[in-house]
Order: sequence, then structure tokens, then C-alpha cells
Amino acid sequence: MTKRMTLALLSTSAPYAWRLGDGSSHDRLKLADYVSLIQTAERGMIDIFFLADNCGIREDRMGLEPMRGFSSVVIPDAFTLLSTLVAVTSHIGLVATASTTYNEPYNVARKLGTLDHLSEGRAGWNVVTSSMDAEAQNFGLDRQLDTADRYSRAREFLEVTRALWDSWEDDAVIVDPESRTYFDPTKVHYLNHAGTHFKVRGPLSLPRSPQGHPVICQAGGSEDGWEFAAQTADVMYGKAIALDEAHRFYADVKGRMKKYGRAPDQLKILPGLVTSIGRTEKEACDKYRAVQDCLSEDEGRAMLHHLLPGAPLDDVGLDEIVPEQPEIDAAAKRFRIFLNRDGRRLKLREVVDFISGGIGHLTLIGSPSQVADRMVAWLEQEGCDGFNLMPHVLPSGLDDFVDMVVPELQARGVVSEAYGEGTLRDRLGLARPADARWRIAQGSNLEAMQA
Amino acid sequence: MTERKQIALGVIPKETPFSWRYPGAFAEADHDFDHFRFIAQEAERGLLDLIFCADSVALRDDGMGMENVSHTGTAAYFDGMTIIAALAAVTKHIGIASTASTTYWHPYHLARQLATVDHISKGRAGWNLITSGQTSEALNFGYDAQVDGPIRYARARECLETVFGLWDSWDDDAVVRDTATGRFFDPSRVHRLNHVGEHFKIRGPLNVRRPPQGHPVICQAGGSTEGWNLAAEYADVMFSKATAIGEAQRFYRDIKSRLLQFGRHPDQLKIMLEMRAIVGRTEQEAHEKFRAVQDMVTEREAKDLLKQFLPGVDFTDCVMDEPIPDTPEINAAAQRFRVFVEKDGRRMTLRELTDTGFGSWILIGTAAQIADQLVEWFDSEAADGFMFTPHWLPGGLTDFVDQVVPELQARGVFRTAYEGSTLREIMGFDRPSNRRAAVQDYAAQ
Repeated sequence: MTKRMTLALLSTSAPYAWRLGDGSSHDRLKLADYVSLIQTAERGMIDIFFLADNCGIREDRMGLEPMRGFSSVVIPDAFTLLSTLVAVTSHIGLVATASTTYNEPYNVARKLGTLDHLSEGRAGWNVVTSSMDAEAQNFGLDRQLDTADRYSRAREFLEVTRALWDSWEDDAVIVDPESRTYFDPTKVHYLNHAGTHFKVRGPLSLPRSPQGHPVICQAGGSEDGWEFAAQTADVMYGKAIALDEAHRFYADVKGRMKKYGRAPDQLKILPGLVTSIGRTEKEACDKYRAVQDCLSEDEGRAMLHHLLPGAPLDDVGLDEIVPEQPEIDAAAKRFRIFLNRDGRRLKLREVVDFISGGIGHLTLIGSPSQVADRMVAWLEQEGCDGFNLMPHVLPSGLDDFVDMVVPELQARGVVSEAYGEGTLRDRLGLARPADARWRIAQGSNLEAMQA
Repeated sequence: MTERKQIALGVIPKETPFSWRYPGAFAEADHDFDHFRFIAQEAERGLLDLIFCADSVALRDDGMGMENVSHTGTAAYFDGMTIIAALAAVTKHIGIASTASTTYWHPYHLARQLATVDHISKGRAGWNLITSGQTSEALNFGYDAQVDGPIRYARARECLETVFGLWDSWDDDAVVRDTATGRFFDPSRVHRLNHVGEHFKIRGPLNVRRPPQGHPVICQAGGSTEGWNLAAEYADVMFSKATAIGEAQRFYRDIKSRLLQFGRHPDQLKIMLEMRAIVGRTEQEAHEKFRAVQDMVTEREAKDLLKQFLPGVDFTDCVMDEPIPDTPEINAAAQRFRVFVEKDGRRMTLRELTDTGFGSWILIGTAAQIADQLVEWFDSEAADGFMFTPHWLPGGLTDFVDQVVPELQARGVFRTAYEGSTLREIMGFDRPSNRRAAVQDYAAQ
């Protein structure tokens, strides 16, 4: 049987692509623009509509001035926007980022639980620990917390959130006028959680949601992040530009799952994929170039400072090969920016293209069949379970993908012709987590509200 | 000819705790989106100003116990801000407002969520700012007991100030989107907040441009002096409660005079009185409808409910059809929590008190009778408008829209079409100018 390809759509484009005019008009605060985008995604059988989020402007090591041409300065509150989109969609999964560092578990558990109810089981949460100083500075700190501290909090945060989702057993709501009972208090539980970071009594103020737990996504780029994902995530966003390296990453993370008693297929690994599609390879390249030509050299260099800090590149010309220097290579490794591709060292312009158009993710530029072939090769050779699509331009880049590449993928049998019934978990082949009875059997300190 | 002043009308989509048992009621209205969609669209058909989702951050069992809570249909409910965001997509005109806590949310999140709803809805967002007074809420956020009122209000004030500051961190014309120059926004029109206060330290700017309304509509329902002053200084809408016209007028005058102290015009804040209206084709039919819901409440449930409104009081001696005991303990609690236990100069029975909904103004009668009373209170400066809480859903709202709204229109006190597009325009509030004085110019740094 052919393995199915999971497709997520990250609703962002190159931040300067708006300058193109035609086909690049997506406004991050306009409902009508999202409605047409997400309906296109549903037409293309995309599994997940994914909204990234930051609680600050992404201006670290850059400031606002060099960003004056970037539409990415505006970042709507992802969960709020996603909630709006519930009402205009019927199948696609709805996933948004929320920070464990700057939120409270009770608030996040309620928002996600509510979204899962509203969408009849289509909600997901991209768990992030927020790594920008610009965010820290909006929340009382001078700079971001250490990675270890952030992940310690994230682990406890996720544990508490899951326990809150489990605080109502699946059949706790009775709504029986005869016995005058709305819910069975023996099936609703206090958490009485008291940990290092949180103290939460519970229970949640809403019944267990259709998926039990909304789908948990992660995108950690560190060792801590991979371990966390292997232990807890349903979906993992990755970064890889070569298949052999993608396969190593895939095998590594899936290999870590066993010690947590998890089957490898219970985590979907989705590398980011920037696409520029044309009817011919040349047309695709022209489209890509047209967007990249919107970016000035100064802006490109500002992005280098933002995404590849500490690398001394100011004196390197755009058409020069990036020098092999320890500081440059160390920064590239740390911030996961690739300086080599297809066995050769890149020119600085190529690096700028690469990071500005899609923060250094795999970029496929070509005809529909060329792109589909590469995607299927990655899927079949265990480089991934699917992709997190990042069209270079919105909305036209998504139109191109859905109209041209999706039919190719369907012809190859890796993308279905219609959405089936069921929740997002059902669609992705992920098990529905057991409810509180399981926790109690495991010796959890959940306490029934009424014995 | 001067135009007749118009009544403001809102709907609170929350039934009584027991009306879920009523045949034909939305039994799971508090956690099913289809019901919310229906209610919002029904209210919009009735040209109401706003739909308001009350919210808390706990399954509230204060003073009541879970066994007792389990009989009520109002224990489980959605996150309010999530609902109004969803309602933005299925409505066009009506204002969408939700409660959000200043004690358990951070200003940066509040500013973003509300600005996002305001943009997505093209200027229809409202925020009922609350400080969260329930112990059950405190226990979900690391506390062992309720945070003291004065501390909550000090935090609320600083929270609101910083939320305003964040909304104003973008000038209205900061986004230029000029393809000729390649400039998306003008950095000299985006400002740092650099707020350092008792409760928060926030650099800013917000990562959402200024909302269409400038500031979403601010609502307040505080029951203390701190709450009244906060409302008088900042709010656009104040929710109030009263069961007698004199009481409502005293409150109205008090709040409006406080506005003057803060240099505001009395019309800059609308006082909207909570109201239940049960409409029948005849007075008798209305009473029968009311009794059908109310008589489902048992004596024990009535006492349990009373405990939630008057926490810490012992009601063992209360009997359904006898007057509420006249004890100092009960009277002190009644005064503190603004529950009215007397009517026409005598103690109410437990049944009568339960019938009042513990402090709501209840109107039972024909549409004409109800409209007359609303107009009388409106004309007597007891309220600028009313927050209608249906006695049961969906029928209670449909009755109101089909029958009472036309009566109000016939009396010339309620719109016959929406005028204006934002909630501020619909309610007749000015769009706040950018409070630039509060922010530091980014370019000057």
C-alpha cells in the first residue's frame, strides 16, 4: 500500500513578496483573504492549515527600520484568527502556535479545547518555547530564558494541559432531565497539580473535546526539542535540504520514540518546503527570481544578521562563495542554516535567497511533475511523512501548488481525492488518547469532584 | 426636530442554570457552536448592538460543591474570546464582545487577541474587562486563595493602560504598503511602549497594527468603588443590575457624576442594565412560560444556587414558600453581593428570590407591556440600554426579536437598520484618537 503524504500549509510567504503586486496581495489581518486561502487549501486536500505566531515583532538583531519593507511585521494572534476560520471550513485541520513560556496552561487548555469543540475535532497546537528577545521584552524579561529552563517549563506546561483535557471523562456529560443531572460529578476530576512551574487545581471548564487532545505539533531545532517531540508530539516540523540528511533526522527522532512506548507512525515528521511552481522549469525559476528581486541587498543583509547572527559576512560580496571560516560555520550549525547544497558551497546570494524566502528550508523550484517527483522520493525513502508547505508568494503560490502539484501527487496515489469523515487525528492516523480513567489506573492523583 | 435618543440593546447568550431541562431548549448551548451561531444571527436579525459572551477561567464551584453544580447547565462553557472570533465569520453588523480577565491574562496577549478580533470583524470587537473574583479561578493560576480586590484593581488599571498603549503603538497611518518605494510600513510611525510599572514591564510595539476602532469597545461590570471608578474613567459600556427603578436611577446618577470627575461627557458611557424578558401573546401566556421554567427548580437547587450568589451563608432554614430569614449574616451578604432580598417593602420567599435570578430585572408580559417598561426606565434615566438575557434558548430570544423589537421601533427608540459599520459607530461612540503622549517615539531613541 502506498504511504500517504501528510500536507500542512504554513500561512506565510516571503515577507517582501507583497511588492510584486499581482497575486501577492495576501493581507494578514483581512478575513476575506484568509477565507479564500483556506478554501483553496481545502480544495487541494491539504491536511493542516497552520498559523505561526510570535508574541512580539521578529526584529531581534535587526530592529524595525530594516524591516520597513516586510509584511511579516504584522502577526495576528494565531488562535484568535484560527477560531474565526472554523466557521468557514469543514475538513481541514486548524493548527496554531502558542508559547509555553508566556502563557498559562489553564488559558491554553481552554482555548484549544474550545477550538476542538467548535471545529468538531480539527484543532492542533504547535507548542513553542519562544526564543526571541523581542518576545521576552514584552513579558517583563530583558532577554529570553535559557533553553533548558524553557523546556523544563514546556514539559510541565504540556503535562498540565493534557491533564486538564482529561479532567472530564469522555462520558461525563449526561444532560438527563429525568435525573436533573447535567454532568456526572464522579466523572469530572480535580487535578491538584503542584509542580515546579505551575499549581493548578482544575478541572477544565468544558467537557472533553472530540479528539481527546488536540493534535500536538512541535518544531524544536535543538536536541532538547527532538527529545521532547519524540516523547510527546503527534506532528513534528523539521528542517532539511538533502534527502540523506533528512533520512538521518527521521530515523533519529523515530528511534527515540521506542523508549517512550510509542510506535513510529504516531509521529508525523514534516520538513518545511518552499515551493515555486511553473508550467515549465523556466517559468518556475522566473517566478522565484521575480520575488527574490523584490529584496534589496541591505534587506538581505539585515536578514542575515537576524537569522545567522555572529557570522562575519558583511565584507563578503553577494556573488562570492561563502568563505569556509570557523565563525561562519559555527553560526550556521547553531542556527541551522545550510551553506552547502548538492555537494557545493553556496554563494552568499544563494544563502540570502534561501533564508529570506523560507528561513533556510528546502526549496523546490520547478514544473509540477519535477516537484511532485522530489516530494514522493522523500516520502518513499523515509526522509519524511509529508511536508509543511511554505508557498513563496500568497495567494498565487498556493493556487499554483493546488492546481498543478496536487493532481500530480494524487496521480501518484499519495494524496487522497477526497477528505474522509472523522477528526484530524483520524485523518492523520493518530490514536485518540485515553481519558482520565487511564490516568487514574496509572496512579495519577486526579480526584473526582464527587466520590 | 431633535432625534429621539436610542436604546442600546445587547444579548447575553446564557440561560438560567436550570432552563436546559426545558423542553426544546438548547441543552448544550454553552458548548456547541451551532447554537452560538444561531443566537448571534438571530440577534443580528433583531438589529441588536452586541452579543456579549460572559466568561470565567474555572469550572465555578465556589460555595456550591460539585454535586450541586452538576445539576446546572451553565457549568461548562467555551472560552469567550474564541467564540466571538468564530462569530466574526458568521455575522456582519452586530458587535461581538467577550469577557477577559486582567488578573489571569497578560496585557500583550489581551491587546493582540482583541486587536485581531477587531481587524477580522472590521471593527466590531468589545472587551468586558474583569478582575476575576472567584476563588475557583485563583486556584487554577497558582494561588491558594482569591487575590485581594485592591490588588486586582491596581493590576487591572495598569493592564488597561498598557493595552491602550499597545493599541496606540501603531499610528493609524503606519502601514503604507507602497509598492513604488517598497515600503510596507513607516518605522517612524511605530512606537515603543517601554512601560515599566508595578505589575508589568513591556517594551512593545504590538505586532498588530492599530485596530479599526482605534480601541475596541471597553465594557465593565464592577460591583465595587474601584470598579465604578475604572468604568467612569475608561469604559464605554457599563453593565448594571437593579430590580427597582429607584435603585437603577441612583446607580445611573452615581456613575454619570463620576464621569464628570474624570472630565468625560456623560454620553461617553452607556449604562446597560441586565434584564430578562419573557414575552407572551397575552400576559397569562408569558407567566405560564416563566413558571414552566422556574417550577423545574427544586428547593434544594434553589438553596444551592443562592449559596453561589451569597457565598459563605448558611441557608439550611430557608423554605421555598416562606420569607428568607431576616438575619444579620444574610443581610450583610446580600448587601455585599448586591442581591436584593426585599420586594415592595417585605422579605421575598425563596421561590420569589429564585424567580428574580438573584438581582436581574425580570419583565413578564406582552411585547407591548415589556416595551413600555423598557421605555419608561430608559426615559427616566435608569439605563441607556439593556442587556437581554433570554430565559431559555432559542425561543426566548426569537420571541424578543420578533415581538419586542418591533414595539420598540414603533415607539421610535430603536433603529430599523444598522447605521455605521463599526461597533463604536453603531453605538454612537467616538473613535479614540491615538494616545501618543503615553508612548515614546521610536525614532527618537
